[in-house]
Amino acid sequence: MVSDNGDGEDWACTLHAMWTSVAMIGVRDELAELVLPPLLAQPGVAGVWGLRHADGGVVIAYRWAGLDLEGERRGVAERIAADKSTEIAADADLRALGVTRVLKAHLEVGGEPSGTFMLLIDDTADAGVLAGRLAQVVDVTREALRRLAAGRLEQQQHIRDALLAEASLQMDAVLDTTQTMNRIPRMAVPAIAEGCLVYVYDGGKPVLRSSVHVDRRRLSAMLADPATVDRLATIALEAASGVPDFDGTVMNPQVLRARGRVIGVLIFLFDREPERIPPVAFLRDIASRAALAIDNSTLYEQRRDEIMTLQRHLLPSRLPSVEGLSIAASYAVGDQHLEVGGDFYDVVVRDDGTVAALIGDVCGRGVDAAALTGMARHTLAALVDERLPASRAMSRLNARLRLDGSWRFVTAGVAMLRPAGENFDVQWLSAGHPAPILLRRDAPPRRGRGGGVPLGILPEPRFGRSRVRLAPGDTLVIFTDGLTESRDPQGRMFEDGALTETLDQLRDAPVETLVNELSRAAAAYGDARADDIAVLAIRVELP
Amino acid sequence: MTDLFVVEDSPEDTEAIARAIGRSHPDVRMEFFRSGSEVLPRLTEPGADLPSMVLLDLNMPGESGLDVVRHVRAQPHLAGLTLVVFTSSEEQAEADACYAAGADSYIYKPLNFALFQSVLSRTLDYWGSRPSGNVALTVVPPPGDSSAQT
Repeated sequence: MVSDNGDGEDWACTLHAMWTSVAMIGVRDELAELVLPPLLAQPGVAGVWGLRHADGGVVIAYRWAGLDLEGERRGVAERIAADKSTEIAADADLRALGVTRVLKAHLEVGGEPSGTFMLLIDDTADAGVLAGRLAQVVDVTREALRRLAAGRLEQQQHIRDALLAEASLQMDAVLDTTQTMNRIPRMAVPAIAEGCLVYVYDGGKPVLRSSVHVDRRRLSAMLADPATVDRLATIALEAASGVPDFDGTVMNPQVLRARGRVIGVLIFLFDREPERIPPVAFLRDIASRAALAIDNSTLYEQRRDEIMTLQRHLLPSRLPSVEGLSIAASYAVGDQHLEVGGDFYDVVVRDDGTVAALIGDVCGRGVDAAALTGMARHTLAALVDERLPASRAMSRLNARLRLDGSWRFVTAGVAMLRPAGENFDVQWLSAGHPAPILLRRDAPPRRGRGGGVPLGILPEPRFGRSRVRLAPGDTLVIFTDGLTESRDPQGRMFEDGALTETLDQLRDAPVETLVNELSRAAAAYGDARADDIAVLAIRVELP
Repeated sequence: MTDLFVVEDSPEDTEAIARAIGRSHPDVRMEFFRSGSEVLPRLTEPGADLPSMVLLDLNMPGESGLDVVRHVRAQPHLAGLTLVVFTSSEEQAEADACYAAGADSYIYKPLNFALFQSVLSRTLDYWGSRPSGNVALTVVPPPGDSSAQT
């Protein structure tokens, strides 16, 4: 209990102001300005000193009000701090400055550097009152430090939450494994660690796939040193077995585990005060998100490769060579859905010299559509090759589709080309398929006739039939609707906006160039290419 | 004397950098430039008062952050200047180009302000604790050595 010596009311106001200001303190360095001057203002006080101690008692900061704490006085202050008494007689040097006694109080706050307060007083001071007030100031300081620590923890947690959110956003934004692996360490450095290395197991061995350090030269030096590289690889290998040997103040390896499989290791490298190293649980959380992002992008790439392979198998590996004709085809995948498209084409040369060019489009995408695409192409090609008329071949396919109960329908077109001197007579049979384009050697492009109903819908198929004669230099272009229905941002279709112009420009180009450029132009025209594009061009060669 | 030059064309990012560093490192003196062409004469004029670090945005009109890195690294007397590229670009090729040109750090610019402040603060702490000249230092101690890195 502090006795009132006449200024008790003033001190109560001062103390109240101090308590109020505690909430305003943002860093520990601001505390001295808050708590030391009011003590200096007390009667008989010549100076107030504050020491901050690291572990082991070493002084890491000196603060004062009144008599300064510079030079040799720091040694004096340290000796007083080491004394266990709370009231110490002043030494000769301090006495020469009018100080007769030093009142002392110690400050301990869990997890924070400790402190020592010293009041340097003369004979006029009321030591009892001042000791009480010093104790009250220590209470204020303790509360301020507790609040600072809590605020710091809260801030760190906030930063970690933000980092997890941003890291997830960045990592999930790409489906490319290499990009994902580059983004992970970039997000981690320097917010979490000074360096971050991504190791992925390949054949049981850790392979460094990505690395970032706040200091590029240190990273380069590290990766140029074979001993360090070996050491890191060993840690990455040991981490998977759960017994890595490492110094936690320098690094922390975290296993990358996704869907029950260990796919690699993230190694965080630290060059910061130990208290600033994030908790292991947080590092584990980052690693688990990174692992999932890497695994997702790896699975995506595998699936994309499988689809490309499957797509290739649904199309002829090569087109036949036919005397008097130049034939070329292109297939562009509308790579939005990561599923196999349903377009197909083929060219069959019969024994009698008739050339059958087939094209079709199974509605929908995916494995079911792919199976149907394979079946439709092979059915039509095999039957036409067996000299069945195109209409019979398409009818058989229609019956097959109806028998299987498939809800999917197929648009298909078959062009039968028969030599007629230097010309070729073409019979076009269409089952709901887009009309072909006739590109005469010396006339504007012209659409042929389509017609008919897609296969798989009616019990008896309905066809559109037309005939045309191709002269030398003329080209027949057959295609799927992905070409003509590619839409620009305003919704205008390629067929209406740029098809004729593009064909005019490609009139004299080799057929290989024609199909590739036509397909590319349609894809570039479209705002977002949703559909696959198959194009087949057959040109009667000039004699 | 200025400790840090900030080269950033976006007023919003400039304000965020000033606020972040003002909070975490109130003693650091900053000078701001809106483009590469604005900062280069300041760095190369004879007897210039040089900072210890330049914080560079990457994509700016005119001379980019990469151009500044190239110009600075072509000047032997600026070898001790720490060049930190601070960008939201996700292009690995740009990071590689900056490193090849001699940038010391290539730091991701986060969207969240708390994270933004933390990233800048850690970057300043790291380079503030190092002598200029970028001496290659040990990162990973050998097995059994439990002392902190030097």
